[in-house]
Amino acid sequence: MRHFLVFMFLVFAGLFGALFLKNSRDPNKDSRPILKIYASSSFIKQWGPGPWLKEKFESTCDCKVEYNDAADSVLLMQKLKSENRGGGADLVLGFDQYDLEMAQKGIEWKPIKIESLNFYEPVRATLSRTHFIPYDWGVLAFLVRQSEVKELPKSFDDLLMPEFAGQISLQDPRTSSPGLQFLLWLISVKGEEEAFQFLKKFNAQVKSYGANWSMSYGLFQKNQVKSTLSWVTSPVFHLLEEKNSDIVAVEFKEGHPIQFEYVGIPATCKNCDLAEKFVKLLLSKEGQKVIMEKNFMFPVIQGVRDGTVFESIPNYKLMDMNVIPTIAERERILKKWTQLRRAE
Amino acid sequence: MFAAFIESVKYVGHLIPLAFLRVFLGYYYLQQALVKFHGDFLNRPRLAAQIAEVLPTVDASYWYKSLVEKLLIQHWQGLAFFILGIEFAIAISYLLGYVVRPVAILGALLAFNMMILTGPQYEDLYRVFFAMHLAMAWVGAGRCLGFDYYFFKRRRGIWW
Repeated sequence: MRHFLVFMFLVFAGLFGALFLKNSRDPNKDSRPILKIYASSSFIKQWGPGPWLKEKFESTCDCKVEYNDAADSVLLMQKLKSENRGGGADLVLGFDQYDLEMAQKGIEWKPIKIESLNFYEPVRATLSRTHFIPYDWGVLAFLVRQSEVKELPKSFDDLLMPEFAGQISLQDPRTSSPGLQFLLWLISVKGEEEAFQFLKKFNAQVKSYGANWSMSYGLFQKNQVKSTLSWVTSPVFHLLEEKNSDIVAVEFKEGHPIQFEYVGIPATCKNCDLAEKFVKLLLSKEGQKVIMEKNFMFPVIQGVRDGTVFESIPNYKLMDMNVIPTIAERERILKKWTQLRRAE
Repeated sequence: MFAAFIESVKYVGHLIPLAFLRVFLGYYYLQQALVKFHGDFLNRPRLAAQIAEVLPTVDASYWYKSLVEKLLIQHWQGLAFFILGIEFAIAISYLLGYVVRPVAILGALLAFNMMILTGPQYEDLYRVFFAMHLAMAWVGAGRCLGFDYYFFKRRRGIWW
């Protein structure tokens, strides 16, 4: 036991010493400007597009790119607001269309100038916002394994079939963007009253409302549910990484909602020119291809999908969901959803 | 001591496959610890954010959740330092085959907690680690191609 205690003491003392040395060397290590980017974990992680974009950008900018992991958009917003005076971030990635109103409250953003690029039709409608530019987009849909279902569902009502009882995983709309999109999608298809009537029956089909997409998708990957809400590009991941063509995104006759991911430059940025250059890289053909292949989302620029497996994804019927409910309206809907869940 | 290291092959040679697994695990933990050391694991509350996200959905007793929320998440830098220290300890111990039994118990405890706290996507991974650490502790995997054999021969006892 004495050996063990001495061993543990030496390891921790060694670690402490190594950290002390590391920190004492840091300040003089690099005098290049640092481009601070706040982004989601999936963007930054080894398998995301972040590392490639960082390497590519650093090879030309004589600067350093530093990513800051933002767990979710709410935390990100709080962080940005608290740092507004100090100017923490030079660039922020990962807001969707529902976050923009919140993002503009209490935080000032710089307008972003972009060259005339060949954007996809659904993306063009979002370009009227000069402070936020979309860098990828996706279409939400329910995924199923073809071999597990008798017939592919073609509408929300088909999800009420007995074979889906307790077999659907969804995201909690209070904490997850796709979860919120599902609720708004349902309301725009059925109207609010009918949507909540539908949810009373539908909730019996849902095995769990995960706090985020990864959790609900994890249940689907582990074969614990037959269906989950994700993006129409998700089957491509399984096709490329697992050679599994059994997973498909089903098309609903009602149409599908779109999610855009935006980039913005806070007005308090310190390296604003570098931030604008990074946006150019994001929107370049090379950058868009990497985002598409690593994030498994659609590129915003036309021509990038050509000759790739993403080209084979059919065009789903899209819904016009350009009317974004206000924060107050969303809170009212979420409160109603919470009450419905509590009453079960 | 070095003679005992080699001698162990003669007397507990049947444990060589397990010694291989031990060294492999040690190498894996060393890699993970070095990535964390050179990255921002100690500077950014990534693990704490991940735990905070998963915690509401965890099926655990109130006192455990409360302990995690009030102690571990709030003092995330201490938690990160502690985890990194344990990972280095596991790496060194497994690579050298020194104090493997108590370190393996520590590793099993760490894997068990990570299994609960890091969400469904890592659950299987940590479950396998938990089982492997238990096996290391049970067998006393440091006795073959490890310095534990030297102490085992001279001192005996449950710790070698």
